[in-house]
Amino acid sequence: MAQKYVIGIDLGTTNSALAFAEPPEDSRDHAPVTLLDIPQLVNPGEVRDESLLPSFLYLTGPNDFPEGSLEMPWPSDPAFVTGELAKKRGSENARRLVSSAKSWLSHAGVNRTSAILPPTAPEGVEKISPVEASRRYLEHLRAAWNSKMPDASFDEQQVLVTVPASFDAVARELTITAAEQAGYKNVVLLEEPQAAFYAWLERHPDWRERVHVGDLILVADIGGGTTDFTLISVTEAGGELQLERVAVGEHILLGGDNIDLALARLLEQQLAEKGTKLDAMQLHALWQQCRVAKEHLLSGESKKDEYPVTILGRGTGLVGGTIKAKLRTEDINRVLLDGFLPVASSEDMPQRRRAALAELGLPYAADAAITRHLARFLRQQAANAEHGSVRRGPSGIACPTHILFNGGVLRAPLVRDRIIEVLNNWLAAEGMEPVQPLLGEDLMHAVARGAAYYGMARSGQGVRIRGGIPRTYYVGIETAMPAVPGMAAPIKALAVAPFGMEEGTGASLPDREFGLVVGEPAEFRFFQSAIRKNDDAGALIDDLDGDLQELSPVEVNLTGNAGEVVPVTLETVVTETGQLQLWCVARDGRRWKLEFNVREQVAQ
Amino acid sequence: MSRIVSAFKSFFVILFQGELPEDVAREFGYSKPQPVKPPPPPQATAADGALQILGILQRDGRLVDFLMEDLRAADDEQIGAVARSLQEQCHAALQRHVQLVPVIDGVENSFTKLATNDPTTVKLLGNVPASGKAAGGVLRHKGWRAEKVDLPTIKPGPQTLIVAPAEIEIE
Repeated sequence: MAQKYVIGIDLGTTNSALAFAEPPEDSRDHAPVTLLDIPQLVNPGEVRDESLLPSFLYLTGPNDFPEGSLEMPWPSDPAFVTGELAKKRGSENARRLVSSAKSWLSHAGVNRTSAILPPTAPEGVEKISPVEASRRYLEHLRAAWNSKMPDASFDEQQVLVTVPASFDAVARELTITAAEQAGYKNVVLLEEPQAAFYAWLERHPDWRERVHVGDLILVADIGGGTTDFTLISVTEAGGELQLERVAVGEHILLGGDNIDLALARLLEQQLAEKGTKLDAMQLHALWQQCRVAKEHLLSGESKKDEYPVTILGRGTGLVGGTIKAKLRTEDINRVLLDGFLPVASSEDMPQRRRAALAELGLPYAADAAITRHLARFLRQQAANAEHGSVRRGPSGIACPTHILFNGGVLRAPLVRDRIIEVLNNWLAAEGMEPVQPLLGEDLMHAVARGAAYYGMARSGQGVRIRGGIPRTYYVGIETAMPAVPGMAAPIKALAVAPFGMEEGTGASLPDREFGLVVGEPAEFRFFQSAIRKNDDAGALIDDLDGDLQELSPVEVNLTGNAGEVVPVTLETVVTETGQLQLWCVARDGRRWKLEFNVREQVAQ
Repeated sequence: MSRIVSAFKSFFVILFQGELPEDVAREFGYSKPQPVKPPPPPQATAADGALQILGILQRDGRLVDFLMEDLRAADDEQIGAVARSLQEQCHAALQRHVQLVPVIDGVENSFTKLATNDPTTVKLLGNVPASGKAAGGVLRHKGWRAEKVDLPTIKPGPQTLIVAPAEIEIE
């Protein structure tokens, strides 16, 4: 059996999807991308096909489900459930529910390979690590494929898994680890906003007539749990239009779920004023109802300006115990337009969380204003760097010509219109033309579709966005200075991988040798910056200011005669699959790979 | 059986009958034990299916709660709010499991020709002729027919008498 399909997997924070395409014999032909229905338990004993797999995992307790009611069409472990049933049962017993595993995967403040989820699990429940949770979703998708497509084994196909553009090298590495543990063989990572753009390309084979050299496309991706921005620039080489990803934003934990919860809280308050108190489960029901009501009122099809929200009585006294409320359009407008999408100037920056005792939880965005996060993203491109050709206004802010929306939240015309309105205000202030929306379709599945298209583009069938790594990476070097009591030795940062370093290339620093002691682990501090884009490999930064963020350290353990000191140089490689690797190279050509040490971070 | 007896017996039986004697084969573990037939699995009954669909409509749409509740004192607005949610959920559940189509896909209150007079399919009302047969009439109700029933397989047993489990919250 040989490779026949390209599989694109959108491993989402709240929902996952799988799409596939069959590359045509003639590369000029259009290959349609198809979504795979994913069989999953929706109730005990009931397996159903759904187009999305909710990214929820429920750790089964002793009396949770009737015996034998968790059987899947493939051999499965009844110790946990993934998908719709996990989400459903998890709303009844939240302490066994693992959710947002992906956000935990990119959270540097915790040990991501140790069993920490769910954080609120009662004693006696065996927790799992963020990597393992991701692995379970990937395993489910693999099994779903094999059961639906028995003639084309999953392991034989080319597989693309999408990650947020804001994922750093460690989170990407951990995603690969999860995929490998799930038995994936040929995995390539792809950034989600790029995937969304590929989905647009797939739908518009005439894209060359729609964008022009010098254009700058902003991809705004607002999903259930995260917001991600990317800039793609249209350039030219040899008379052909080219696409280049020139900037990615930071990881912002803010999305549609926050909006629904804010609406639920508002209604809860209105009910409380009338003397009706809700318990935790009623609030959860209200949260889900608010999502339905919001989607209905924002769909643009609704003529009414309110939608009933009903929380059914919990006991057998159904009608008597039911609580009625109404979600009004003006409430939505207030929460959405004032809270999440306020009119902001391009100078407004999101509020930072004040230094406080960090709780054990996800680092949710401190400022809910998506527009201010966008302002910061475009400003950051201004402050630094001439990497690629980014279209700018007189004040230096990046000025997109087009905007492509992705993610469930952006299905609402109100949200899209407000973002365009705010963006156009900024552009007008810079004397620029208004932005043009690129109309995407199917915002829930675009990423999986785009990933499958990219898989074909990789083999030469379709246009490919050039990008390389979305950050500059540095290792920390302690400066040789007399020790001062009470002060750590100052540290400098040596750029080892420049922004935009492309897949399949390497960079080495032959001039700078390090003496490594054989037989004991040598550790390097590791930094990244999404903002500094002009540092070439070998550049030394004296001042580690706010532009640089520290990542998990990297370490290497040289085997050989203990006590020997080996002079090595550093070499960076970006693999064909987009993974960043650091190597130590000895003078005689021996090589050792540096590994991320995600465990160390937590001890600090 | 002593080993000498077994050896001789085996020798001659193999020589003349071409196979190992059954008792020797059993003793030395060369014979497969006869498979014991498992008792037939309990069959799902019509009652199981009925309770199952009730269970589904209760789980997804709270139908049983609604039907069992005393609504004489409840005000219409409150009932209306519940009915809206209940109807939506039960409709979705029903559509998933039972695909309902009209028996006669015509326009109600207009004249319709009949292809059959089978009483389970068509019920004749009004001035029904003595023969009990008619070639057509005014379609008053289109009827319902389940084109497809797609219910999860159930494992029959005592637990299938449960329509909805009791819910206990640990505080």
